[in-house]
Amino acid sequence: MESASIRLESAGGRGLATGFGNLVDKEYGKWWRTRRALLHNILWLSVINGFILLIGLDEMGGNPYRTLAELTEVFFRVGMFFATIGIVVSTQGSVLGERRLGTAEWVLSKPVTREAFVLSKFVVNGASFLGLAVLIPSIVFFLQTLLLAYLQPSLGPFVLGSLLNIEHLLFYLALTLAASTWLNSRGAVSGVAIGFMFAGFILPSFLPWLLVGTPWALSEFAATAARGGALPADAWQPILITLLWTALLVLAALWRFNREEF
Amino acid sequence: MPNDPVIRTRKLSKRYKAVQALAPLDLEVPANSIFGFLGPNGAGKTTTIKLLLGLIRPTAGSAEVFGHDIVGDTIDVRRRIGYLAQEPRYYEHMTARETLRFTARCFYSGPKSALEKRVTETLELVGLADKADRPIRGFSSGERQRLGIGQAQVNEPDLLILDEPASSLDPMGRRDVLAIMERLRQRATVFYSTHILDDVQRVSDSVAILNNGELVAKAPIEELLAGGDGIVYTIDVKGNGSDAQQRVADQPWVAEVQVAREKDCAHWLVRVTDDAAAESQLLRLMLADEHVAVTAFGRRTYELEEVFMNLVEENGNGER
Repeated sequence: MESASIRLESAGGRGLATGFGNLVDKEYGKWWRTRRALLHNILWLSVINGFILLIGLDEMGGNPYRTLAELTEVFFRVGMFFATIGIVVSTQGSVLGERRLGTAEWVLSKPVTREAFVLSKFVVNGASFLGLAVLIPSIVFFLQTLLLAYLQPSLGPFVLGSLLNIEHLLFYLALTLAASTWLNSRGAVSGVAIGFMFAGFILPSFLPWLLVGTPWALSEFAATAARGGALPADAWQPILITLLWTALLVLAALWRFNREEF
Repeated sequence: MPNDPVIRTRKLSKRYKAVQALAPLDLEVPANSIFGFLGPNGAGKTTTIKLLLGLIRPTAGSAEVFGHDIVGDTIDVRRRIGYLAQEPRYYEHMTARETLRFTARCFYSGPKSALEKRVTETLELVGLADKADRPIRGFSSGERQRLGIGQAQVNEPDLLILDEPASSLDPMGRRDVLAIMERLRQRATVFYSTHILDDVQRVSDSVAILNNGELVAKAPIEELLAGGDGIVYTIDVKGNGSDAQQRVADQPWVAEVQVAREKDCAHWLVRVTDDAAAESQLLRLMLADEHVAVTAFGRRTYELEEVFMNLVEENGNGER
């Protein structure tokens, strides 16, 4: 082993990011060097774009502008609903599973920080899921609207709607990761995140002020923005507060995971 | 410093609510030694190892590995360690090669060719070259253990920490593990826990025995095997040995002579304070007496199992 040892360079690196690059590559491989990405791709194309296809075929021959507006509305509402459930289900075990199986213990016996461990999961799960459940279905959606309504949505508003969708999904990803560092069962982790989502369908009817401090209004905002509609004047509040919640949830996950004993 | 211990703990302890998993532990592990860490299940061996690796936090006390504090400098500590867990778990979707590559990249940034070379050499070393590109999910427990040994030394660590490394291996696998440990001694310190006493007796330089979270013995292996009575020679004698007994007892390096008589022979236990003097003179003194015949002569040693069982029984049976 002498010749190799002479030439190998120490990974070096200090501070909270130690091991981050290697962990990102490992997480990336879990998505893209297995069949996971392909399965997600098929799933999201079937669920989101399949839904659009069914509605579009039904609406074909009608007013193309109305058809486009309806398809865009459905794309965002259906997409955000199923993608929220999807991101919770697909990431609920990413920290919890490793805690329980013992792989986290193994990884953390190497020169790798706990911060890098959690953040690599947030970054790679977020980017991979958003690519498969938002970006690719959006590209396909543009082709579908061209075929079904002979029109395409305006790019600017559509991108704004997509950014709000992404913010919404990242909040649920952060919530799932935080829950998976605190709780010890997958059911409980999913229950917290999906329960929170469903609470957003019910509670604002009684307590409308909750919409200001939660991400619950973002799906409405995303669909409105993508159709080219104007957002309410105070829309910045839930948008900003959701970003803050996401950051706080990531910090909570880091804080808890740093206290975990293996 | 070259003579500084690799591991030094000071009153290191761990408590889980009402359970004292590790009582204040003072331990020093010398460099380039093979240090056996013994104890029954639940004695605190794995707790100690996890404390050293920063996987759990001490309740009190401190420890240093290569002079680095195990809490404040845990990354620096782990950079120089190779670790094999008691029940190693890996990513099942990865192959053995991918697992070693991932591990190596925790320590090295490249270049890629050298990194791949190291991975390939490690696979050959642990006998997994022909299974390198198969997913781990199909591996037997012995193959997993070999992979574990591979990943623990892919970074050529200065300190190898092995938690029950041979527990799930067949005799051939155990022999290979011991051979790897012997080879690594040239450039690294090996700190390992085990309950296979035969292995400890074969390869260890020093031994610590834990029971109920407490250190009950810590000594070089020869000292431990010599027993707690100091250096004792056993002599079987036939004939009238009373003059010889007096002559031996009069030597300044003899602390005590005990004689147990059985029919026509006697069994002597001679406790000495100077081993070199005893080695060169004791047998000669006996043979100089024409009234006695020496039928057996030797230095008393214990089997490690005997020492271990005595110590554990003296300090409780190991049940928590």
